[in-house]
Amino acid sequence: MTMTNAMIYVHIPFCDSKCFYCNFASGIYDEDTKKKYFDKLIDEIKFNCTKAYNITSIYIGGGTPSSVDADFISRIIQVIKENYIVDKNAEISMEANPCSLSKEKLIKYKEIGINRLSIGVQSLDDSCLKMIGRSHTKKIAIEKIKLAKACGFENINCDVLIGIPNQNYKKLKNTVKKLVSLKVAHISAYMLINEPNTILTKKIENNEVKTVSEDKCVVFYDKIVKFLHRHGYERYEVSNFAKDGKMCRQNLGYWLGTEYFGFGLASHSYVNGERYNNTSNLKEYLGSDFNYKKHRLSNQEKIEEKIMLGLRTKFGVCIETLKKLGYDITKTKKNELFMLKSNNFIKINDNKIIVDKNKFGVLNQIILKLLP
Amino acid sequence: MTKKLKNIRNFCIIAHIDHGKSTLADRLIEKTGTVSKRDMSDQLLDSMDLERERGITIKLTPTRMFYDYNGEEYVLNLIDTPGHVDFTYEVSRSLAACEGAILIVDASQGVEAQTIANTYLAVDNNLEILPVINKIDLPSANIEKCRKEIEDVLGVYAEDCPAISAKDGTNIDEVLKQIIERIPAPKGDVDAPLKALIFDSLYDNFKGAICFVRIFDGTVKVGDKITMMKVGKTYEVTEVGVFTPKMKSKDILSCGEVGYICASIKNLSDTKVGDTITNADNPTKSPLEGYKDVQPVVFSGIFPVDGDKYQELKEALEKLKLNDASLKFMPETSVALGFGFRCGFLGLLHMEIITERLEREYGVEIITTAPSVSYHVYKTSGEMLEVSNPSMLPPPAEIDRIEEPMIKLEVYTPPEYVGAVMELCQDKRGEFVDMQYIEKTRVVLKYHMPLAEMIYDFFDNLKSRTKGYASLDYEVYGFAPSELVRLDILLNGEPCDALSMIIHKDKAYTRGRQIAEKLKKIIPRQLFEVPIQACIGGKIIARETVSAMRKDVLAKCYGGDISRKRKLLEKQKAGKKRMRQFGSVELPAETFISILKTDDND
Repeated sequence: MTMTNAMIYVHIPFCDSKCFYCNFASGIYDEDTKKKYFDKLIDEIKFNCTKAYNITSIYIGGGTPSSVDADFISRIIQVIKENYIVDKNAEISMEANPCSLSKEKLIKYKEIGINRLSIGVQSLDDSCLKMIGRSHTKKIAIEKIKLAKACGFENINCDVLIGIPNQNYKKLKNTVKKLVSLKVAHISAYMLINEPNTILTKKIENNEVKTVSEDKCVVFYDKIVKFLHRHGYERYEVSNFAKDGKMCRQNLGYWLGTEYFGFGLASHSYVNGERYNNTSNLKEYLGSDFNYKKHRLSNQEKIEEKIMLGLRTKFGVCIETLKKLGYDITKTKKNELFMLKSNNFIKINDNKIIVDKNKFGVLNQIILKLLP
Repeated sequence: MTKKLKNIRNFCIIAHIDHGKSTLADRLIEKTGTVSKRDMSDQLLDSMDLERERGITIKLTPTRMFYDYNGEEYVLNLIDTPGHVDFTYEVSRSLAACEGAILIVDASQGVEAQTIANTYLAVDNNLEILPVINKIDLPSANIEKCRKEIEDVLGVYAEDCPAISAKDGTNIDEVLKQIIERIPAPKGDVDAPLKALIFDSLYDNFKGAICFVRIFDGTVKVGDKITMMKVGKTYEVTEVGVFTPKMKSKDILSCGEVGYICASIKNLSDTKVGDTITNADNPTKSPLEGYKDVQPVVFSGIFPVDGDKYQELKEALEKLKLNDASLKFMPETSVALGFGFRCGFLGLLHMEIITERLEREYGVEIITTAPSVSYHVYKTSGEMLEVSNPSMLPPPAEIDRIEEPMIKLEVYTPPEYVGAVMELCQDKRGEFVDMQYIEKTRVVLKYHMPLAEMIYDFFDNLKSRTKGYASLDYEVYGFAPSELVRLDILLNGEPCDALSMIIHKDKAYTRGRQIAEKLKKIIPRQLFEVPIQACIGGKIIARETVSAMRKDVLAKCYGGDISRKRKLLEKQKAGKKRMRQFGSVELPAETFISILKTDDND
């Protein structure tokens, strides 16, 4: 009998400093809190223990997982391996920021089986880094990427932010160009969204800094997509680019409907057709008895998710799968599909609807046309 | 039993919006025991939900109260009046039904524009004015200053005027006492032919149109044959009665009284406010003066969001018209919006009320186009057209001249804002007429201004430039020639008729640019780029582009949290329901009205 594949996400809400654009469940805490948190986290991982799944990917995200003592991370991986069946070829990723990476830590990570690093570079322009409150500089970031490679990490992702106040295309392009020359395997390029109640949003509201207009951001993005494409990075998902097929398994899994367990503060899970999430209040989490409020997806929601998530990837959405859920898209949306196809927004290959790689920018409009 | 004339008092309450008119009315009703406390709901006379919610009175609801004073029982008939400039005519007719008016002035705000305008109306109708200073419970109340203002600004004796708190019920008896002592009893000849003023009317599904009347001469009872003198139609009376404030039938209404008449009248439009009702066989020789057929001054296209709901919209408008004879509408077709109606309103507030009632009470989702006025277009052929729909404007070559409706505008403001107000009025093509200090702290500025400028965010602008201190009043007085052009908006190269407007040529460029910028913000990203162009007579004056991409597609998704993506999509999905397809462009319903509003802030 073949086991169902699943993934695990672990959230580490600790940072050495808070970035100006962040409104995520993360922050600066004392050692005692960290210790309590990891104890609770281990309880949670054990509590949900199951051998019914083949774990193909583990992702340790944050926050800044690299900011805590590497022993904590080691324990987490240890406990996961003891309580779940982890595939021997599993992808084990961890997020890191340049400042907290050190040779000692990197060696340790390698030892405990981490085989993919996601580094929050964001920019290689010092004025941009300062603008968003990152602690590193261009120099540090480049050094640490090189160090990680030297320690044997082949599979490195770098996050790049687009739309940082005062960013211009030249600064952005230099960042991406440098990352390409460093031969990182994977680049995630995101738009900076001004979330409510962040330091940056307040600065914008007080007219202390000037945002880059949405139109400009979109043009930047378009150019970066083309640049990356020319250098062999494939856009396999809306904001993710991989070289030599080094796609992020965890990231793809989210969109293609792989089940996943989420552990830790504000983490999300999708298991057995149900979605649920943990509290984002640390105090509440520390006192939690892991009694999750689950939401079972209705058939309608399943269809919607298949479309809205599947279309984000180069693998698209399978017409047959939709039909099995009772949605005959080729019949119901005949005109829409024809219009989208004849205007090169989508292609239909192998019974799959796939968004053209140059049209991901209007993904939402495409999705809206195809939803039941 | 009919009361003797000397024991009747007919009065109304006039006030600026929010000075507490409805609250005082409630207190009077409570004090006289007309409605038991149990049945009291706040602001009893504002019968529509909308009125209660907004704290404004739109529809008049009369009430009869009894009050014992010095051993005699008096009948007090209160006729509530709307306090907004849109309804000046209704106010003047309800004033005409009274002998006296209670003038409420807010103790902290003092005399405001509508107080002044309505006081003048009352004086014109020879009413005894009874000033009352309200809201003395407020910490900022200044009774003496207010008293002085009433005397200085309005020229009304206010030495012994009651200072009250309608909210707390303070000194309400003093108001009742003065009503009886100072307001004259009605005069009239009970034996003369019937002479009754219609000051309002209402449509009832069973009784037909009901006239709210004040009897000036004679009597009226069931079975009488009556004639509407202006309309010229004759009916047989089926019921007469009074307001308690609920309608209660009675055998006879006689001179001096306020009540209602039913006569199986099918159309509300046959019961025109201001008309005189008399005996069909023995008509009065002197009908009441002041009748005026109210004409709409603001026009707008109303279309169903869902094109299939045309019939529903039509029925809803017909039903609304049963209750509001001043609403005018006729079918209209738009390339962009399909089938709908061009509607005429008494003013912007009236328009807002109608559109809100359509959506709320009748559940019809509607698209409203930017309001316009009615222009007189003189063609070179000598023909004159009334154009209220910009897309109906003939080609420039056929036009000799265009005349636009003009208003007499009065703005009341503290002196420190005179400069700002003058600048605004000038900017709005106003022609300065006069400026007077009505007292040290208040100036009245008089302008002649095109009505169209008034419609285009004048009020909001005035409020923001004067920190909310200025108030205004206006009336339409006639037409004046003006250099007007049609500004068209092209979306994706196609002119969108529902976005066209008629505008003064000096303002066309600026407005064209503003509208293009505004539309860029409102029109959601589409699959394609959407060029927006503003043009005058084929000449492009502004261009903006709605780019196809959207930033939020590319936002980071943290740790498998797809809920944000879903929320975004749900929002866009909901928005799509209110979209109108125009060629390949999808437009949100609010697009059409939004071009009216300029926001300097964003």
